[in-house]
Amino acid sequence: MVEEADAETLRPLPYPDELTEGFWAGVRAHRLSIQRCKRCRYWNHVPTIACYNCASEDLAYEPVSGRGTLHSWTELIDSPGPGFRDMLPVIVGIIELEEQERLYLTTNLLNVETGRLKLGMPVEVTYEHVTPECVLPQFQPVT
Amino acid sequence: MWEFRDKVSVAGVGYSKLSRRPAETLATLTSDAVKGALADAGLTLADLDGIATSPSMPRYGGLRGAMEGIDVVTPWHLCDQLHVNEQINWTGSTNGMVTQSFIEAAMAIASGVCKHAVVYRALHVPEGRYINFDSRYAAGTDQFVAPFGFSMPPAWAAVIMRRYYELYGYSREDFARFIADNRANTCLNPNGYWREKPMVPQDYLDARMIADPMSILDCDIPVDGACALLLTSTERARDLRQPPALLSGFAASTYPHPTGTVMTLETLWEGCEQVARRLWECSGLGPKDIDNAHLYDGFSIFVPLWLEGLGILERGDGDLIGAARQSLADPDWFLKLRLGRGDEIRRCTYTNYCEALDQRHRPVTCKLWDRQELDEPGAALTDGGRRRLLAPGWVHRKTGRQEDL
Repeated sequence: MVEEADAETLRPLPYPDELTEGFWAGVRAHRLSIQRCKRCRYWNHVPTIACYNCASEDLAYEPVSGRGTLHSWTELIDSPGPGFRDMLPVIVGIIELEEQERLYLTTNLLNVETGRLKLGMPVEVTYEHVTPECVLPQFQPVT
Repeated sequence: MWEFRDKVSVAGVGYSKLSRRPAETLATLTSDAVKGALADAGLTLADLDGIATSPSMPRYGGLRGAMEGIDVVTPWHLCDQLHVNEQINWTGSTNGMVTQSFIEAAMAIASGVCKHAVVYRALHVPEGRYINFDSRYAAGTDQFVAPFGFSMPPAWAAVIMRRYYELYGYSREDFARFIADNRANTCLNPNGYWREKPMVPQDYLDARMIADPMSILDCDIPVDGACALLLTSTERARDLRQPPALLSGFAASTYPHPTGTVMTLETLWEGCEQVARRLWECSGLGPKDIDNAHLYDGFSIFVPLWLEGLGILERGDGDLIGAARQSLADPDWFLKLRLGRGDEIRRCTYTNYCEALDQRHRPVTCKLWDRQELDEPGAALTDGGRRRLLAPGWVHRKTGRQEDL
């Protein structure tokens, strides 16, 4: 059941569905898994009912390395909603995972100052526990 | 080339009042714009037999209303409101953008199902913040962006801008002139919301940041109001009040979005390039034929990307957009920069003096130099006795030597 909005204190939480539960279950276990086509082996993110490359519906989650490069970023100064008001500034990074060209994941960049960010810099996944039930995949510079 | 090239025309344009929190409903504003377009063409409501729009409410997060006449105005609501239900033979209501409504209306005119079609865009901005993701949960594709705060269009544009800056070595300073120029153009537009608020490049650099490097002055301002275009056949349009604007071609993109993020610099370029190929193919024109472009500038970075995707500029040359006024103010500015004399550049002050002359079809000169050194040998003068074409020659301040240009 969806709880009453408590947006004053919390940013929006992902609401997993049939298609995406495999992704979020992996993240809760600190494993980054991406939906992959069994027929053509193409990686699909965000999860889809049919492969973006070959339209096959034979798809399953497979773990990825959790490594990638920084495609671009922005630093949020103005709040996108009440749940972020006390967190600003927040850095959003577009990550290109190393498994496939143009396989993007949008997350926050943690443990880094904007001044150190560069296009193509190596980044790796880390996990942020937002609530006892919710874990978000986040990225940080490779340590 | 399109079989109906130049056979459909825009014969009238109408605007409602455009403002932030009007007392009038969206239905009233839409009706004003539609009647305005008909009157501009020299037509009356009795001539109208086609209506098209893309009813939508631009809001990101929070509640989106769908109340007819308040939040949106569909073609059927407009029929009721204007009491034209019986005479309207054709209605179009498209998803996506109003561009598709325009294309459909052009087809309806070309195919003869209606004779005078109005295409309008009507937008209502509800009370409260325009961008405000206040739900506790993010479902659907939102679940992969909203938990990270990536639920606002300025942030989507910001990652495009950031990548563009990093790839080509730009910063916001390089685009300040373009933004100020854009505002100067607004000041000449009787319908421009900011027409009485000129700005200078420094205002842009001082602007409040939204999603770095996107500031508030990189974003358009959401307003309530409507704009309407009256389409008819070119043949009929020639007998109407205004000279017709001929539709030579059109194109829309079906380029795939990236997944995993909202948009990328590369897919925007590629999508623009697809539109361009279709546009040139349809119209028989090419980038060299274009001398007046009205490009989507809801977020400033999209203007250079459109110019680049259309083939009017090379990729990465976006900083040239704001160069026109500055090169009029000081034709030697590149030379001065190259010689390390940047402090001697005569900087454009954005008074719109040159633009005003151009609007009046008078020789364009610059206020900063057109009354200086009129007796310089060889100086060309306008019939009004001002310098024309070129500023006084640059005398090197230290050597007293005229630079050989």
